[in-house]
Amino acid sequence: MAGGEPARRRRIAVWVACEIVPHEGRIRRWLARSRLSPEDIDEVMQEAYCRIAMLPSVDHIDQPLAYMSAIARNLMLRRLKRQQVVVFEAVSDIETWRDETPSPEEQAASRISYERVLAIIGALPERCRRVVELRKIEGWSQREIADHLGMTEKAVEKQVWTGVRAIRDAWLRAEAQSENRMTPAPPKEARRW
Amino acid sequence: MVTAASEKARDEAARFVVRMDGDAWSAADEAELQAWLAEDTLRQGLLLQMQAHWLALTPQPEVVRAEAEPEDADAAPTAVWRRRGVMAGIAASVALAFGGLRWSQSPAAYTTRLGEIRRLPLSDGSVMTMNSGSELTVTMAQRAREVEITQGEAWFEVAKDATRPFVVASGDVRVRAVGTAFSVRRREMGVEILVTEGVVETWAEGDRNLHMRLQAGDRATMNASAVIDYETGISSSVDRALAWRGGMIDLGGRTLYDAADEFNRYNSRQIIIADPRIAREQLDGLFRVNDPEGFAEAVKASLGVSLDTSNPALIRIE
Repeated sequence: MAGGEPARRRRIAVWVACEIVPHEGRIRRWLARSRLSPEDIDEVMQEAYCRIAMLPSVDHIDQPLAYMSAIARNLMLRRLKRQQVVVFEAVSDIETWRDETPSPEEQAASRISYERVLAIIGALPERCRRVVELRKIEGWSQREIADHLGMTEKAVEKQVWTGVRAIRDAWLRAEAQSENRMTPAPPKEARRW
Repeated sequence: MVTAASEKARDEAARFVVRMDGDAWSAADEAELQAWLAEDTLRQGLLLQMQAHWLALTPQPEVVRAEAEPEDADAAPTAVWRRRGVMAGIAASVALAFGGLRWSQSPAAYTTRLGEIRRLPLSDGSVMTMNSGSELTVTMAQRAREVEITQGEAWFEVAKDATRPFVVASGDVRVRAVGTAFSVRRREMGVEILVTEGVVETWAEGDRNLHMRLQAGDRATMNASAVIDYETGISSSVDRALAWRGGMIDLGGRTLYDAADEFNRYNSRQIIIADPRIAREQLDGLFRVNDPEGFAEAVKASLGVSLDTSNPALIRIE
């Protein structure tokens, strides 16, 4: 299936992997300044990803991080304004974000390092790690890995599945750590209703 | 805290990511995925995030990207500029290459068809994004940069050049910027200006009393003799009104009447509201500009109205 929906989806996912994933922590740190709970931030991020996922194409986006931040900011503002108790300071804080969008140089500088990738893969459980290494570092297909390791394709799929979930957790953990570094005081609670 | 339900959704999303990563993604798989996505709109975001996290682990994502590129060839190339426009554009850049000795004085014309949204870099470094069904001309002169909108709407990101003011004309209304971003839309009752960055000055040709300074987050509508509408400090609603730059319509509390009008700007399949009593209902939501059917379905679900889609050229909301 060369074109159509799967191709569009993949193009957007590759774009997000290159342009947004390396900066996720940064966006979440901005969001954390609104004093909303981490769960609310998770939801805003997921909603922002939704909007990207629905775009017919991402070719027109020149400054991906600024674009994603703007979407997240708007979603956050909407959420804050819906709250009964609005932390006014938080709203005005967010409205000044535009000034902080990084330069194209900054944007280009923070690619994911090879070391970081190896560290994430290295932390996977043994069997899963071998499969993910072959897939990611060697670039083998799932079928080739199955033949090589004498496993069924289903079994390879299962290991990759474990890998996909562990990798997501690893990203989120890394983000949580950087959030803690940036916000020394525990955020004041702002409840949704 | 991660709830049990979202944990389940994550596991399911991961399963789809793995299958897409394999070699045997079929039409049946795609149908299954679409059904899963349709159950909850947030799943789109979850899936994208997990797929991207997985792809990001390939040491050189650029390689992955290059491998994804050839598929672009499938997309039918759309006619970009009218021929005259292309030639004038080339002339302008040639003039630039010769140290700006000769500016192209002849105006270049650009058009977009129904549903087409185009981003065009100009020879001075500015970028204009044209909305559906628009017509405009650009003149790059030595002392001025002029754009005339005869139909439709465009958003401008203006390159700073204090010696050459950037002026957009539409009817009798003028909008002037030095280095800023704003949109101008020609409407029936007047010209609508939205400012996303910096400051612009606007006035009516022939009546200098109608002079206004607009800043980021402002919206104004004016014609040759009056300022019809003016709102300030509404950045988020300005951003929403410009969602078309990303191929989207963001309703944010607009009426059904306005929303239908908006979709009709982009699609030959027109939406008609048969019952005027529902036309003032307010709606919220984000839609693709080319999906009037999806919008009509959402209206049906939220307002409890019925749809008549028997005519392929129309969608009647009754």
